[in-house]
Amino acid sequence: MTRLLSEPADDVDAEADADGEEGVAPVGGLRSPARRRKAVLPAAVALLLLAGSAFFHFADQLRSTPSARNHALTDPAATTRVSGDVGEGLARVFSYAPAGADAAERSARTVLAGRAARQYTELFAQVRASLVEQRLTLTTQAVRTGVIELDGNRARLLVFLDQTSRRDKAAATTAAAQLTVTAEFRGDRWLIVDIKAR
Amino acid sequence: MTRAVRTPAGSRPALAGALVLTLVAGGFAAWTGREWYAAAHDDSAAYAVQRDRALAAGEQAVQNLNTLDHRRVEQGLDLWESSTTGDLHKQLVDGRQEFTGQVKTAKTVTTARVLSGAVTELDDRAGRARVLVALRITVTTPDSKSTEKDSRMLGELTRSDGRWKLSGLGQAPVGGTAAG
Repeated sequence: MTRLLSEPADDVDAEADADGEEGVAPVGGLRSPARRRKAVLPAAVALLLLAGSAFFHFADQLRSTPSARNHALTDPAATTRVSGDVGEGLARVFSYAPAGADAAERSARTVLAGRAARQYTELFAQVRASLVEQRLTLTTQAVRTGVIELDGNRARLLVFLDQTSRRDKAAATTAAAQLTVTAEFRGDRWLIVDIKAR
Repeated sequence: MTRAVRTPAGSRPALAGALVLTLVAGGFAAWTGREWYAAAHDDSAAYAVQRDRALAAGEQAVQNLNTLDHRRVEQGLDLWESSTTGDLHKQLVDGRQEFTGQVKTAKTVTTARVLSGAVTELDDRAGRARVLVALRITVTTPDSKSTEKDSRMLGELTRSDGRWKLSGLGQAPVGGTAAG
């Protein structure tokens, strides 16, 4: 250690120290090798900690950009999963026949949560009557699904729906609907927690 | 053992402690350094940046192509052309004269607002992407009547010279077969 850290000029000093001032701590100025040796380690530690903190800060900054935090498409498995769950869920809860009102409401409980579940309950209370009265059948299909944002357990999607309705025996009409859907991963599947018509 | 004598009493354990501290600090710096390097060379981060650029360019281009004022047709169509590339660009250039005539006759002002958009496919290397855009289009006729229409569009983007531009645009069909 001493040899590595001392300059040749100080070496002479060091020898003298060793010979003449046994057991006495060097009290010389900054040029004293022992003093300097003492300062090297703390300096190195400080430098390393500083560098480490800087690296940590920059790494964190790179990873916490809105771009990097959004895993839509960058995590293909999760992207496909959430698209599938949400598309299938919308098709199930917005497809109903006069006889199947209970089934639609039941499946809503497994697919919807939060605000979306409350919205649906309100909507369905109105629809239920006309379902039977007008013998209304509605079939919904998610034709395109795009993940806008995917961050951990939460996702936002844009879904294009085709809704085909048929009143009694009249011809079926198909309407387009665009929704932004907020979904949350709970348990083993993505649940729809909010729906906004676009 | 001259060195042992020289060392002030108690500094041996202190030195050992300092060395351990240095090693720990060194380990910390090495670990964070690697993290930083990994973050800076993260492919998925670069991919995410391209995704967001494609979406921003796609939404803007779709809006541009659904905006036209009969009083400023030339400017509007210039913007259309600068927002597009490939086949779509060629179509616009070819049909420009005819279209200018139609708009000037109809005297309509069309504006569009993007409600929402998402990227559905992105090939970062090939520089190709597909987007979904939900749009509200307002058409105002010369008698100041305006009608609003919601539209859902599928756009195809191609990257040229580092910029994403629309190379294809169409309505998402209603009542067709499901895809994507």
